Amino acid sequence: MKGMHGIIFSYEKPTGLRELTDHRVHGSVPFAGDYRVVDFMLSNMVNAGVTDVGVIMHGKCQSMLDHLGTGKSWDLSRKNGGLTLLPAFAYAERRESVGQFRGKMEALGCVKEYLEHIRQDHVVLGDSDLVINIPLQDVLRDHLASGADLTAVCTAQLGDSADTYFKLDETGRIIDTVRDIHTPEGYRCLNIFILSKELLLHLVEDCVAHNQYSLRGGVLQRLGDQLHIRAWIWEGYAARIDTIQAYFERSMELLRPEIRTQLFCPERPIFGKENDAPSSYVDPDGQCVNTLMADGCDIRGSVKNCVLFRGVQIEPGASVENCILCKGTVVKKNAIVRNVITDKYVTIRENGTLMGHATYPLVIARGAEV
Amino acid sequence: MKKECVAMLLAGGQGSRLYVLTGDMAKPAVPFGGKFRIIDFPLSNCTNSGIDTVGVLTQYRPLELNSYIGNGQPWELDRMDGGVHILPPYQSATGATWYKGTANAIYQNIGFVDMYDPEYVAVLSGDHIYKMDYSDMLRRHKDSGAACTISVMEVPWSEASRFGIMNVDGEDNITEFAEKPKEPKSNLASMGIYIFTWQKLRQYLIDDEADPNSQNDFGKNIIPKMLQSGEKMVAYRFDGYWKDVGTLDSLWDANMDMLLPGSGLNLLDKKWPIYGRTPVCPPTFVGPRADVGNSAVAKGCTINGEVKTSVLSTETYVGQGAAVTYSVVMPGAVIEDGAQVSYAIIGEKCRIGRGAVVGAPPENTADPEQWGITVLGPGTVVKPGEKVAPKTMLDKSHNEEVEA
Repeated sequence: MKGMHGIIFSYEKPTGLRELTDHRVHGSVPFAGDYRVVDFMLSNMVNAGVTDVGVIMHGKCQSMLDHLGTGKSWDLSRKNGGLTLLPAFAYAERRESVGQFRGKMEALGCVKEYLEHIRQDHVVLGDSDLVINIPLQDVLRDHLASGADLTAVCTAQLGDSADTYFKLDETGRIIDTVRDIHTPEGYRCLNIFILSKELLLHLVEDCVAHNQYSLRGGVLQRLGDQLHIRAWIWEGYAARIDTIQAYFERSMELLRPEIRTQLFCPERPIFGKENDAPSSYVDPDGQCVNTLMADGCDIRGSVKNCVLFRGVQIEPGASVENCILCKGTVVKKNAIVRNVITDKYVTIRENGTLMGHATYPLVIARGAEV
Repeated sequence: MKKECVAMLLAGGQGSRLYVLTGDMAKPAVPFGGKFRIIDFPLSNCTNSGIDTVGVLTQYRPLELNSYIGNGQPWELDRMDGGVHILPPYQSATGATWYKGTANAIYQNIGFVDMYDPEYVAVLSGDHIYKMDYSDMLRRHKDSGAACTISVMEVPWSEASRFGIMNVDGEDNITEFAEKPKEPKSNLASMGIYIFTWQKLRQYLIDDEADPNSQNDFGKNIIPKMLQSGEKMVAYRFDGYWKDVGTLDSLWDANMDMLLPGSGLNLLDKKWPIYGRTPVCPPTFVGPRADVGNSAVAKGCTINGEVKTSVLSTETYVGQGAAVTYSVVMPGAVIEDGAQVSYAIIGEKCRIGRGAVVGAPPENTADPEQWGITVLGPGTVVKPGEKVAPKTMLDKSHNEEVEA
């Protein structure tokens, strides 16, 4: 049938997210007050009319499993298709792999049977740790119109040297793919790809046969000459959440209206897991400025330049600035907190002082009492 | 399958005393408390009390209410067996009638109730704000062996003449019922929440329907009739928060009660959650120059101005230099820069232009008779700089409605 099938990669990989990934994969890190990072890619797919999504997971996926559930929150709980969770249960027996997937092609190879049963004739691949609100239907439209074998979404905004970069010819065709270059140049790969189901199956088979586990190495670089690979240049906002520093900066960026309007546009809503928290309450003595605040918060102290998740409590006299407080964090009376990221259900005791620095925020692990 | 108790929720009333707010929707669909609608309270009470089969009787302007309830999923009432059912009046071989009264509404749906063959039926109102454990009331009903249990609460003696008053004996058996008595003998007011033994009620409904002089109303006909016939009727005392939000003042009051510590209506109460259908929207942004105090704020708002002692519903906007005080702002309303809103109820998707003034504090009004809550019906646009006087009610075509 016509249309796109979504595949999201959410397997464990080394990141710099420290305590935030103690209990979870990077895709289920809480973000923007009411979401997990994966909600963005899932919503992008759903908003583009994708009805079937497979999420490949491996490693600490308990939190991701809990979050995704039946997929109802994204309207992906369907009689036919819908959300399919693909934990790598059968994986250990395969080949010489140990522990983690070494790349996307290896991950896809492990769910090959699933791929064979895809109903749609095209597939969109995406990462679970990219914060973006992109019209994927436009990418598919241009992919079909261009006659390319594979379309890769990229951006002119440069990032780390460790990222993958494309060199394009004047027609928009990718002629070279590089990474770990000293000075980033060209177009940065956003790890969103569209290709036909048929080609995907062929590539997976070919990569497995040739001991190629990475999409970059095994497809973009190795087969770059044989395939027509095109770039689709995204000019909007995109943020990868892979280090604590990126997490902190990207979260703080959300306080800027121009960033929020790019991420939360009414025509492409971002769906998160629904919740039953009541409205937030700001006390007569509470103060709350320049802050993103989810439901169910109880603000009796002072809050400035923060991202507050659901059910955060700020007691009287407490002062919180430049912080990201995840669900259920309690800041007790007269505590002073600056540049801190608290994971879920952290308690900061009375009169305590916690100071991080904007360039090196302090991270408090889930459930800790400090 | 057989159910022990089925709830029938009366949600068909126009709510004419909410005037412009219910021009296009039934009263139970009116937004409340930022994230909710009035009907969320009885529906959530059912869910929290373990009642999984609810019939919602609708009649007046049901579109908004029907689409809000949908499949009942937010209240976990999307069940394989049971769940929430919308029950509008229908046509039958012998003709079609509207619901003539509360009792007639249930009478017309005897077939629905019989389908679940319940021992008991709870009859609830769709326009009350309260948190009640119906399973506790049901236990009292079963223990006492009554045909009918009516939930009551003590009201101040001075107000008793405004309610349906129950006179009881030492064991809280109801001995007498007086609708709005001039000289009340008791201060136990009926809350309009009943549990009946279904087979008893079923017969009374059939008899009531056969009586051409009956108004087919629970309070006026069924309850007095059962008392007269010597049925065992008991009172179930309730001492939590309860408010009938059938008038604009009481709707405003109940919203304000939510902000008042000790009112009994605790917004952040986790023990008895109220569920609701919430739109998909990002968290609220409180801007650098915003000043928010003693207010409830739902998600999806952008606040750049002052918000004091107010309730902001989902996706509302308060511009720079704007001030909202002692007001209830319903979903999607926009209050532009510099506008002043005080002591007002702003309906869904209203737009208050720059520098407009809506409502006024009582202390700024010379004649107390001229003061009251200002109410804008859904979709009303107030032009920049326009003034809307206290106690005014406007609908979206700017027709002024006067309180009867």
